[in-house]
Amino acid sequence: MSAPTTEEVIARIAEVLGVPESRVRPEVALADLVAESYPLVEMAIELQDDFDVIFTQADLSAVSTVGDLAELVRSRA
Amino acid sequence: MPLPDDEHWVLSYYRQSEINGALFFGRLARALKPSHIQHDLTKHFADEAQHAWYWTDCLERLGSPAIKLSDAYQDQYLEAAGLPVNMMEILAITLVFERRVINQYARHLAVPAVRGEVKDTIDRIMADERWHVQWVRDALTGMEDRYGKDTIAETLRRFKEADREVYAQTLAEHEERLGFLFRPEHEE
Repeated sequence: MSAPTTEEVIARIAEVLGVPESRVRPEVALADLVAESYPLVEMAIELQDDFDVIFTQADLSAVSTVGDLAELVRSRA
Repeated sequence: MPLPDDEHWVLSYYRQSEINGALFFGRLARALKPSHIQHDLTKHFADEAQHAWYWTDCLERLGSPAIKLSDAYQDQYLEAAGLPVNMMEILAITLVFERRVINQYARHLAVPAVRGEVKDTIDRIMADERWHVQWVRDALTGMEDRYGKDTIAETLRRFKEADREVYAQTLAEHEERLGFLFRPEHEE
């Protein structure tokens, strides 16, 4: 399976979080999109399931923006 | 005659923890693609919701409807252990948590003069809890190739440590309410 594009990952993040894609830009902090922990866990699980990748604690501790997360998915795919 | 305050609170706390478990697993079940894990996780979610109903009904039959509580055991868990970040970590924390639940319910069953309604409720729940441990353990074994046997063992160790810490904190915070579970004789 080839790595998804940044746009594909961002579209999926927007869908999972239920926010308009226009708000999910690479520079936006994830904390500004979702304030609670459980939806973040759900999003992380869903992205890994969708794109057949695995995140670790270290991976996610380095992620703060939508762009970081999209890049992480792409680098693991 | 209504339940004593401590017992009323503990049974309501069990109910709240079952509700939180159901909501958590329900969200995950919704997020996963078709697989064995999706299948078993969905049953797990349904069981937890059913357990919350058992406690709600049990409390009403005992003349003390469930107290509305905001916190549940799981919230403190995530604070101590950190958020699980992948499916293996979700299952590892679930396995540790389910074993804690079984121990806690077994402790409650050992209370002298445990009420019949409470015993029946715990007995019904325990049958499901044993299956929960089994399916999660089997799923973790099936993940060894993908995540690594050592990584899984280390994750379980980390969550067990957090579990011991959280359980000790819970006992300390709610010593008066939980005390009746640890006394040799239980006054009705």
